[in-house]
Amino acid sequence: MNVKDVIIIGGGSTGCGIARDLALRGISHCLIEKNDFAAGATGACHGLLHSGGRYAVADTDAAAECIAENRILSRIGRKCVEQTGGLFVRLPGDSKKYRDAFLKGCERLGIETEVLSPTRALELVPSLNPALEEAVRVPDCSIDPFRLCMLNIVSSKARGGEIFTHHEVINIIKERGRCVGVKLKEKLSSSIKEIRGKVIVNAAGAWAQRIAILAGSSLPMTLSKGSLVVTNHRLSNMVINRLRPPSDGDIIVPNEAVCLAGTTSVAVDSPDNLEVTSGEVETVAWEAASMVPEFEDVRLIRTYAGVRALLNSESLDGRQISRSFQIIDHKNGLFSIIGGKLSTYRLMAEKLCDAVMRHLDLKRACLTAEKPLEGQEELRGYPLSDRLESLKDIICECELVRRSDVERVIQRISPKHIGDIQHRTRLGMGPCQGGFCTYRALGVMQETGKVSPEESIEILKEFLQRRFKGIRPVLWGDQLREEQLIEYIYLGILSMESY
Amino acid sequence: MNKGTYDAVVIGGGMSGLTAAITLCDAGKTVAVISKGDPVCCLSTGCVDILNSTDEPFDGISSLPFGHPYGLVEQDLIIEACEHFMETAARGSLPYAGSIHKNRHLITPIGMKKTTCLVPKTMEHANCDENEGIHIVSFRGLKDFFPSYIMLQYSNTGCSIFDASVSSTIGIAERFEDERFRETFADWLSRQHIPEGKIAIPAVLGIRSSFSIYKELSQRTGRTFFEIPTLPPSLPGIRLFKCMKQAFLARGGHLYWGSEIASVEKLGAIIEGVTLKNPGRVGRVQGRAFILASGSFISGGLFARMDSVQETVFGLPVYYPENRSGWFKDSFFSRGHQIEKAGVEVDSSFRPLADAPFKNLFICGSIMARSEVMKYGCGHGLAIATGYAAARSCEGFVR
Repeated sequence: MNVKDVIIIGGGSTGCGIARDLALRGISHCLIEKNDFAAGATGACHGLLHSGGRYAVADTDAAAECIAENRILSRIGRKCVEQTGGLFVRLPGDSKKYRDAFLKGCERLGIETEVLSPTRALELVPSLNPALEEAVRVPDCSIDPFRLCMLNIVSSKARGGEIFTHHEVINIIKERGRCVGVKLKEKLSSSIKEIRGKVIVNAAGAWAQRIAILAGSSLPMTLSKGSLVVTNHRLSNMVINRLRPPSDGDIIVPNEAVCLAGTTSVAVDSPDNLEVTSGEVETVAWEAASMVPEFEDVRLIRTYAGVRALLNSESLDGRQISRSFQIIDHKNGLFSIIGGKLSTYRLMAEKLCDAVMRHLDLKRACLTAEKPLEGQEELRGYPLSDRLESLKDIICECELVRRSDVERVIQRISPKHIGDIQHRTRLGMGPCQGGFCTYRALGVMQETGKVSPEESIEILKEFLQRRFKGIRPVLWGDQLREEQLIEYIYLGILSMESY
Repeated sequence: MNKGTYDAVVIGGGMSGLTAAITLCDAGKTVAVISKGDPVCCLSTGCVDILNSTDEPFDGISSLPFGHPYGLVEQDLIIEACEHFMETAARGSLPYAGSIHKNRHLITPIGMKKTTCLVPKTMEHANCDENEGIHIVSFRGLKDFFPSYIMLQYSNTGCSIFDASVSSTIGIAERFEDERFRETFADWLSRQHIPEGKIAIPAVLGIRSSFSIYKELSQRTGRTFFEIPTLPPSLPGIRLFKCMKQAFLARGGHLYWGSEIASVEKLGAIIEGVTLKNPGRVGRVQGRAFILASGSFISGGLFARMDSVQETVFGLPVYYPENRSGWFKDSFFSRGHQIEKAGVEVDSSFRPLADAPFKNLFICGSIMARSEVMKYGCGHGLAIATGYAAARSCEGFVR
């Protein structure tokens, strides 16, 4: 029988961080994720490595964690952190008092700031609203959440961690009132596995309540949806924040070839089937345009939404470690970790693992802050010139992904899902959002015998509908033109709808 | 170039614009076509969809909802327009097969059936049923065509792969223009011991002389072939466009290619000329009448803002569904999004409706309101019918 010390449920940044932390402490473990890595809020956030500035006035504990983790991740994860730097921009009408409190807060927390004149700020980011009053520079960074998760998993796998992506936990096995294992189902084949463990860690984010219920525990949560938009190109090379109390749509983050802007905050009942509304898109675009006016006309290529999961405060029965995240010992072998943010994922993992170690009565120190993330040497980053060398081999023209890049991923991980290839190559992440290349990538997968033609048709259909859902709220301008072409290809040329 | 005043100036070099231009040339008029680049036709399958939502397209046209632009074209004129197209294409060595009274079905690159009406003769034999033995010949590394999709639907299907040492459809098509390559290919094919039945091939049989290449290959091998139109850039679409463009030039038409319109010169309700956005000197094109065939959104004839739709050349009033959140349905796979109804509303003489300011402007093609090309499957058919009819109306005006 498959027995582990710890079973981790959830392959977001928290779950992956816990897997690495346990691996470095020499604890046997496995990780179960019902989709691919970073499929929940991790992959649906800004990809911002906070300097802490955003919380420097109202939530100083969170701010202190952010700046500490910012420095640690910049050190251990050079290849997935881009040192963009960030600006807090004060526009006409924004409070000067807030700016003073902001500077004071940053100083107290040790967050480096530099106050810039409008001229200097415009030199750094020419697309800024020229009417700005001033800007404050902080060490914000951009971070690739997909890559971050996968690098954490490298350490886990290298030390015997077992990873089950596309496996859903369907039951938690209990004996004498204690959680002793999980039943999981492979999504494509529906085959069932059973794994036993001494401790089960619930890092399922917005889905954590469901896991807790499977274990017979209660975990009342409040879910809040945040929606973001993706631009066709980078409008700024620095992170841009509004210098005012945190609010809707006031962060713009450069990420690879695009910019992400958001978010909103809308209460939802379920973490599944999130819809981004036209109204949310307008709010985000309008707020972003007040800082970077080009947002009014820029081509938006996609929307997406993630869910923040917060514990209902009145029902706190666990120990509150910090205002920013909570670890709950359900006293039955299940530990839940709720809240927090991508920037502090490592710290969250450390605290959770400390709690698990106490429970197992083991004493091994956390090593994740010192040891650089393994596997970074192999990362190719985004070497444009390299990819341009073999133009005729390119199957994703938007992101210049080669047939050989896709084949390499296929060889390495035997993907059954198109997302597995997209997250590892950036295939389909550009302006056409996979309209052309998905059909090709599936053809290549068929040629290698990894999927059957029937499976690829199913995957393609599911992909096209999911893609359309993300694009539909931004269909105007050039993106509408592109969409009509894609519709013509799949319905007009291929007659896809008759499947 | 002619510096005088043309009888007609056509804006848009796609199917509707070139149809109108050729029709006017045939009537003895002097015609100029202004186009900002290769049209959307080059992305198409090259097949003429008349009305795919029914089996008998010609009869189906009369039951289209009121307001569909087909309704503006008299029945006789639709037949005349299609005959005119078939003749033009045949004279340009790109003969088409089919009848406006009956639709046919093609195999698509994922093994589904596509309904269409008039097809290039290289696709004439594409009507196949699921049990018929078909053999697919494809090319190594071709990224837009994977035989396995088709083999899933047609169980009795084999496949051979030829190495053409290039991997794009256009690259392979260019090689087929070379006689020695064709010889090598035919020799290779005869060594494959392909069982009885039709041979399907992605549409790569040449760019300029596809029909003679197709005939030659059939004769050399004694087999029946048909082409399968691939994803854009699509050879059959490119061939159709080139054929129409040549037909226009052969009739003495003038082309202003790669030109966008910078401004419009008007006197009262009459458009006198347009200036072109050319690098260097300013180009001016004057005409007695103008035909707007600038297409819908993909072509750029219409442009959607966040809350409205604009006509991009003359700023004509545009009909469009009011609320953006209703422009598209929820499902990618359901045809007939509301936004397809957007366009310029015209009267029975193909002029913009009464409140529009111009008397010598005619409209044709997918820029017309309520054309809903995807919903009804009427792409090139509507372009040919309205291009032809708008030209007739324009001809009456400049007589």
